[in-house]
Amino acid sequence: MVFVEVSPGIFINFGKNEAPNKANGWAISNTGFIIGDESVLVIDAGPSYQYASEMIEYIKKVTNSQINYLVITHHHPDHSFGISKFLEIDTKVIISNSELKNYLKYGNKLLLQMKKKVGDDWFENTSINEFNNNKQKFPFSIDLGSRKIDINLYTDGHSGGDLTVTDKNSHIVFGGDLVFNERAPTIPHANILNWLRYLDEISNFNWSGLVPGHGPIIKKKNKLDFTKKWIQHIHYIARDAVKKGLSPAEVLELGVPEFLSSTKLAKETWNRDVPVLMKHYENDN
Amino acid sequence: MYFIRGFLCLISFMLFFINLANAGPFSDFKASAILSEELASSPTQKRDTPNSESLKQAINLLDPEKSEIWPELSRLFLGELAKVNFESEIRVIMQDHVEEPHEVPLIVKLPDHLHNFKEFILLIENNPIQQVIKLIPYRAIESIGMNVRLEDDSPVRAAVKDKDGLWHIGSKMVFVSSPGGCSSPSCDVTTEICDPGEIGKLILKNYDREAGAGRLKIKIIHPMDTGLVSSPAGEIIPEYFINSIFLDDIDGPIAVMETYAALSTDPVILIDLAEKGQSIRAKAKDSHGLEFFSFKNSSIM
Repeated sequence: MVFVEVSPGIFINFGKNEAPNKANGWAISNTGFIIGDESVLVIDAGPSYQYASEMIEYIKKVTNSQINYLVITHHHPDHSFGISKFLEIDTKVIISNSELKNYLKYGNKLLLQMKKKVGDDWFENTSINEFNNNKQKFPFSIDLGSRKIDINLYTDGHSGGDLTVTDKNSHIVFGGDLVFNERAPTIPHANILNWLRYLDEISNFNWSGLVPGHGPIIKKKNKLDFTKKWIQHIHYIARDAVKKGLSPAEVLELGVPEFLSSTKLAKETWNRDVPVLMKHYENDN
Repeated sequence: MYFIRGFLCLISFMLFFINLANAGPFSDFKASAILSEELASSPTQKRDTPNSESLKQAINLLDPEKSEIWPELSRLFLGELAKVNFESEIRVIMQDHVEEPHEVPLIVKLPDHLHNFKEFILLIENNPIQQVIKLIPYRAIESIGMNVRLEDDSPVRAAVKDKDGLWHIGSKMVFVSSPGGCSSPSCDVTTEICDPGEIGKLILKNYDREAGAGRLKIKIIHPMDTGLVSSPAGEIIPEYFINSIFLDDIDGPIAVMETYAALSTDPVILIDLAEKGQSIRAKAKDSHGLEFFSFKNSSIM
């Protein structure tokens, strides 16, 4: 675990930009923390109890401020399964209602599948815990001590309720998985039309740096174009295929469209997400 | 008119039950239940990404002469003295590497000279439930698609019997990154949340293809329990699946199918007809004897 101080008091551990495997233990997404005079706010808990424990140890080395807040941007396991460790040290967990529901509903099934795929060892002590998010209303602000943080909710975009974190001092925004960089965006719970709208909104903010859920930090707005292009196109392909009554097998046989194929994890993501989206659109019909 | 159609249906269902009576050796899943326990306790080492080594392996595994399972499979499902011909012209279209083994979409496209086939069987060699479907057509069919369960890496074989009784086989090797499509639960094991739909709801759609050709798609909401998955209390969930589907239209029967739990939950079947069907109807039956219809007045089918 290597945290980089991208701006005074803001640290990020960039996840491995690869598929989950036995070597990375599902630590494939970015996590970070912001230090104020009194409190530390953590953005995403990582994939496991073990990951969260290491993270907490690291934070205690660099500051005496208390780890009072944890923001879970959405329920996907690479971002949320470290929650159990933070609950132990009485950190207040901030998560949208829909994503708390999904975490509790799908958590155990996902944990089982993950253990099977990358090995039980990575998930020792990791559990899915009930906790109270106090039905938090969004947006709202937190003062970490000489440091104000805004937390915004984006409903039914990439997931049921994605949270973003904005540091008012540095104008750095943590976009969660609404934002991907140099990697194919994943869409298992997405409403693509809303997501596109949210990406436009986010790109128009006056940020100095945008931290994606996956990939390196974004400094220029045009870096958001690829995510937009990808989700627009996969949406179009899946909807058209459902309209024609195609089998997902026939769509996947054509491969990833060339203009999208050069990004990391393009093929894996395309092959996984096209059938999921098609099913989604079939049920809508 | 109805009398004649009713008579044809009667014959086709009689044929169907004769087939069921022959299904003894492969409808007994007890041995496989033991296999599933082994799989649960010692998961096999898996490959993560395709590489030249796994591709070489794929070619080897597809070779029926090197397969330990194929001779037995052929004898059981295609018959003791079946004459078999392997053909690359039969295209089994599916992904090379599969992440979600509970629901793997595939479609088999047949060459022109096999459109008037007599019988179609889909087999998955390394599945505890090896036969997925047997289809007997009443008119020309160009391709057949479905979603299947894959327990582990396996050759998938599409067997098509022509009018002279010769079997033509198309093959495809598929790798599975997390095994257990037949033996692991596809819903949350601790909370038992499976989002069950309305069991038996049957959705039938008829699509245009080029030059008057048609595609029909049947989706049936059904758990398709394999009898190999344990409940959280450790008890085996008994097998429960759609075991027959019958299709007709104003010109008479289209096809009769014998189906097994190697089809995914909420199975989908695609059938490409040379001529688009008119007023298509579907009827399905499950292993508890419940009947499901795509239309309201079921007394005439």
